[in-house]
Amino acid sequence: MPMYGDLGNKLVQHAKRTQNLAHLPPYQTELIRAVTREVRDLDKDVASLLEPFQGSFDPSADQATACTLLVNHLSMRRNKRCLLAYHRTRTDKLEELVWNGSDVLDLAGQQAGGANGAPAADGGASSSLSPQEEDYVRQYGDLLAAYKGQWTDIDLTGSLEPPRDLFIDVRVLKDAGEIQTEYGAINLTKNSQFYVRHGDVERLIAQGYLQKLG
Amino acid sequence: MDIDDILREVDPIFHDIPQEQRDLQDLTRAWVAEKSAPELLPWPANGLFERINANIKTQIERVEELTGDMDPKTNFALIVIQTELERYRYLVRSYLRARLAKIDRHALHYLSTDALRARLSGAELAYATRHQALLHNHYLSSFLSSFPAGLQNLNDSAAGISMIETPDLESAVFIRLLRDAPVEGRGVDADGAMDGRESDIVILRWSDAKPLVEAGTAELV
Repeated sequence: MPMYGDLGNKLVQHAKRTQNLAHLPPYQTELIRAVTREVRDLDKDVASLLEPFQGSFDPSADQATACTLLVNHLSMRRNKRCLLAYHRTRTDKLEELVWNGSDVLDLAGQQAGGANGAPAADGGASSSLSPQEEDYVRQYGDLLAAYKGQWTDIDLTGSLEPPRDLFIDVRVLKDAGEIQTEYGAINLTKNSQFYVRHGDVERLIAQGYLQKLG
Repeated sequence: MDIDDILREVDPIFHDIPQEQRDLQDLTRAWVAEKSAPELLPWPANGLFERINANIKTQIERVEELTGDMDPKTNFALIVIQTELERYRYLVRSYLRARLAKIDRHALHYLSTDALRARLSGAELAYATRHQALLHNHYLSSFLSSFPAGLQNLNDSAAGISMIETPDLESAVFIRLLRDAPVEGRGVDADGAMDGRESDIVILRWSDAKPLVEAGTAELV
């Protein structure tokens, strides 16, 4: 028979695993529901335990009941912590993806479809994100755009590596079309190499179109 | 008394340093400090970032003006300006991101009192408030709304443990003394004290270093 908190523990393990993964594993809808249900059941137990006392419960008179209440109480809080930790770990990951400029919603759909060969092995969901998470990503994207908008000249999402050279050698890994630079247009076709201004192609390097050489 | 005053005392030609150069110094100092301090430091209130933004804008315009010119001399100047500009931008970006990382990590803490809120810039405050609202909403719609009403708060402090995490003010930092001063630090087994000399570099707890840094006696490195 499963113990109180077993499910919560599973969530934490999922969260821990997520921290070290490059992508976001599927949202554990069933598990979340089960943990939430456990909290509600515990809450009901507490209410029914206390009912006969009509608000005049004395812990020292009935220590067995007091102990049950305490365990229930702590289990509920622990479950809440587990749920919060799980969701926060995932939102942190999602925010990181938004900062990197990747199209999170698109990416999540691809992963769920392609990663395990059979599309959507876990219950027909087409994305590894929950609908709420998809909303969150959209809203966070807007929020970030608003904050960035006040620093247009800085490019806040740019590289956090200190700049070394103004110009760098890059090799084109995927066709990226034509880009405009101060020195005219460059046509980025696969396998070609260019000597370009770092700032002009930073985004393309981050997105995996170009590779920095040297 | 802050660092400017001290510099003025020891260095009478300090006033001759142009504002731009001083701003760059201030920015660099703020950046280093923000990167090493475990908690969020106050946003510089003296209009530093308005000036920096204006400077960057001017330089960008300058670059655009010079770009058309084919004279090799201007071309060289152009590269120097652009390199400088990239570095300037990096400093600002890295500084802002370091702050934002701290704010994201302990948003509820920094929003909890007016004194802490005052450390954030207007834009940061708006960002933190909205971000926290988004998170709370996300928790609510994901699971919290089906919780018993008494358990829906995010700021409980049951059994003496607050749900709101705070930065660790006891973590270690390196400081450089800007003038002779006694330095006291608390240790695990015993406390330590020393007569610090100017330009000494000391490692100690941030909570011990903070008064020195705020008084301008030391800077973070």
